[in-house]
Amino acid sequence: MASLKVVNFLQVLSQRSLIRSFHASNQHFVDIIHRPVTLSGDKNKITINNTEDISVISGVPEEHIKERRVRIFVPPKNAMQSGTHGSKTWRLEFDTRERWENPLMGWSSTGDPLSNTHVEFSSKEDAAAFCEKNGWKYQIDERNWLQTRPKSYGANFSWNKRTRIGSK
Amino acid sequence: MLRLLPNSRILSKAIPPVNISYKARECASKAAETVEVFVDDKPVQVQPGSTVLQACAQAGVEIPRFCYHERLSIAGNCRMCLVEVERSPKPVASCAMPVMKGMKIKTDSPITKKAREGVMEFLLVNHPLDCPICDQGGECDLQDQSMNFGSDKSRFTDNQFLGKRAVEDKDIGPLVKTIMTRCIQCTRCVRFANEIAGVSDLGTTGRGNDLQIGTYVEKMFKSELSGNVIDICPVGALTSKPYAFVARPWELRRVDSIDTMDAVGSNIVVCTRGGDIMRILPRIHEGINEEWLADKSRFSYDGLKRQRLTSPMIKDESGNLISVDWETALLRVCDAITSVKGAEIAAIAGGQVDAEALIAMKDLLNKLGSESLNTEEIFPMDGSGTDLRSNYLLNSSIEGIEESDAILLIGCNPRYEAPLLNARIRKAFIHNEIEVGYLGPKIDLSYNYQHLGDTTTSLENIKSSQFYKEHLSKAKKPMIILGSSALQRADGTAVFAKTQQISNELKEAGSSWRVLNVLQRVASQVAALDIGYRPGVENVRNNKPKVLFLLHADNETVRREDLGKDCVVIYQGSHGDQGALMADIVLPGAAYTEKEGTYVNTEGRAQRTLVAVNPPGLARNDWRITRALSEMIGQPLSYDNTNEIRDRLAEMSPNLVKFDTVEEANYFKQSEELFKDIKEKIKQDSFSLPMIQLKDYFMTDPITRASPTMAQCVKANNKEA
Repeated sequence: MASLKVVNFLQVLSQRSLIRSFHASNQHFVDIIHRPVTLSGDKNKITINNTEDISVISGVPEEHIKERRVRIFVPPKNAMQSGTHGSKTWRLEFDTRERWENPLMGWSSTGDPLSNTHVEFSSKEDAAAFCEKNGWKYQIDERNWLQTRPKSYGANFSWNKRTRIGSK
Repeated sequence: MLRLLPNSRILSKAIPPVNISYKARECASKAAETVEVFVDDKPVQVQPGSTVLQACAQAGVEIPRFCYHERLSIAGNCRMCLVEVERSPKPVASCAMPVMKGMKIKTDSPITKKAREGVMEFLLVNHPLDCPICDQGGECDLQDQSMNFGSDKSRFTDNQFLGKRAVEDKDIGPLVKTIMTRCIQCTRCVRFANEIAGVSDLGTTGRGNDLQIGTYVEKMFKSELSGNVIDICPVGALTSKPYAFVARPWELRRVDSIDTMDAVGSNIVVCTRGGDIMRILPRIHEGINEEWLADKSRFSYDGLKRQRLTSPMIKDESGNLISVDWETALLRVCDAITSVKGAEIAAIAGGQVDAEALIAMKDLLNKLGSESLNTEEIFPMDGSGTDLRSNYLLNSSIEGIEESDAILLIGCNPRYEAPLLNARIRKAFIHNEIEVGYLGPKIDLSYNYQHLGDTTTSLENIKSSQFYKEHLSKAKKPMIILGSSALQRADGTAVFAKTQQISNELKEAGSSWRVLNVLQRVASQVAALDIGYRPGVENVRNNKPKVLFLLHADNETVRREDLGKDCVVIYQGSHGDQGALMADIVLPGAAYTEKEGTYVNTEGRAQRTLVAVNPPGLARNDWRITRALSEMIGQPLSYDNTNEIRDRLAEMSPNLVKFDTVEEANYFKQSEELFKDIKEKIKQDSFSLPMIQLKDYFMTDPITRASPTMAQCVKANNKEA
């Protein structure tokens, strides 16, 4: 029975995204198999009961899992422009590490492999789930909404309102 | 004409409705009377009185625009927002056209596209091909919109070699660079100056093709918000002078952070390249700074690169500070601390310290047996003092100003102490027709106010004033804003007690509206008081400590003469300013752009800065220095990383880690009861303010004092005056 479980699980594994992580060592592979799994009524479905944590097999060095702080946020609209493109989806970014100017060419350098990583998500929950899966500590910054009030061209000329500001 | 415009289609169709807030939507659904219009056949319910452009925004369609700006009045002169409306003979300017029931708006029709193309063509005829040398290049509305909506070919031929329109550049001060040939006459800057800044320095001359933006006579654009015209300028006509030819927008890394130049806590974006700060831009936050930023916050970043302490220093026999390594410096501090009794140690925190550094210092000193933790800024400690949070917060919140119907300002100059709060008052003054009363020396607040006197006598007799009788007492949501400057007085307690009493009398029974507001002047004060620092340095002066920590304290509240001869002064901070001058040991700390720190603004809203660049040289994050020191002394603090210290902050006061929420404070009645025992009387003299004119505004803290740009501003203002 136990072997059947393993076989079933392997079938599921091969369909799931976890298969990507198989470059990790055998030890890790075994760890996954020994996770508590339950067979549901449907023979082809297995649910894994504990939360997914791929940090052990993702190949990311430990220092970049334990010591990184992830921020989940919606990028603000650029104050210099009126367009709002790029300020709609949730984004995940890592804390800034040291950068320096390369003495040879004057290029900007960094020793941080994650400095250029930013991943976009359609919701903050997705981003948070991604962080949890990867073992990163994260913080969610809520979105700042733009507020509008009805405006009227006539306000420029209303004779008894303070909105009438001349000198144009 | 009929070629496909893939980008414009993406812009106009695939955008989820983000341009409106939840609030606006709630209003729309609450009010039964909404108007149904159709944007590209998609029905939307909009508030009556909205414009076509706003209706399109609500439907998720972004209309291209140059002159229209959310926060300015409607000008309707660029014509870029033309759209087709069914059964209308001509395309309509959507920014100025009010919606009508059943209107069918077509934002992507051939007529609309043709209109946009025509407008773009006319604009480009008179626009120089400066893009490669223009500072706006890469984040230019004209560039982007000509790519998306413009024609693919030019009909501009200059057969007579007349050249394009050329306009002379204006000199409007050390902050804003003008290249007026690039101007497309959207008049956003003029409207900003007139409406938001309240300084009618800018205007237009001429008509048609000869229309020019300028100051009429050559003079400086004298406003504390002048930098915002750089942002709102859709082209490169107004650019930043300190940032001229410095960087390109696509090279920059953007880090969201918080400003610490005043207690408002404006949201900013720090733009860096290769470990260097290139510029600072505002970030939208409706509750705080909308999308503006004060000049000191925007332009003082060059002060972060000068006068910096880059290595620990100790004083040698001849009295000179010499650079040493961290170990030597910390050992010296250790010796100083272990050779005295715990109670003989004291600390003074300055105006720009993050909550993490504050709590680390407090925990260390408490472990050593000292309770002497002080802030530079004074707050009356009699009565309920700082025990009740409502005493030292701007309780009705910055956003609340817009709900208020009468405001009384006491002993403060919000225009320079909190420019964005002042802009909010001006906004309420213009749009909500509120009345403002003011107690203090006569100053220009950028809006009209009723001057109720400049002495404390006027405060005591406030009830007999016309303003009180006619406006304040009748207001549903009155606000009283008491400046921290007024509390620095010797009779601060009495002033506070009186203000509190007036506020509580104005408070309607059962209403949750908070009348009493205290306007803090420095960024760290609220967090320091939340953590339990004692405001004012009286304690240090009287007790003559043997070891004194100056935590970013540079305002000379305590001088060497006030201390005993054997006192060891340890300065921990970012700049070689007054604090470092009187120190025996210097520990280089980080400035606000270099650490992940928590700051609580005057409303009591906790916000955090993020690391944009690393501290220079051997400088380190402040709380980590204190943590290292505690280890050396043998009293290690219980936290090792940011998460752990945040847990400690939460233990101390949960509001410190509830980021971006205004934690409400109450107990006004109880506070008044506690103040009733105060026998102190208000002294009869006039309110004094440290910042009266614009030139007083620029250099107030170690960062701005080290900034050449700020020095230039002061110089230019002196010249102008």
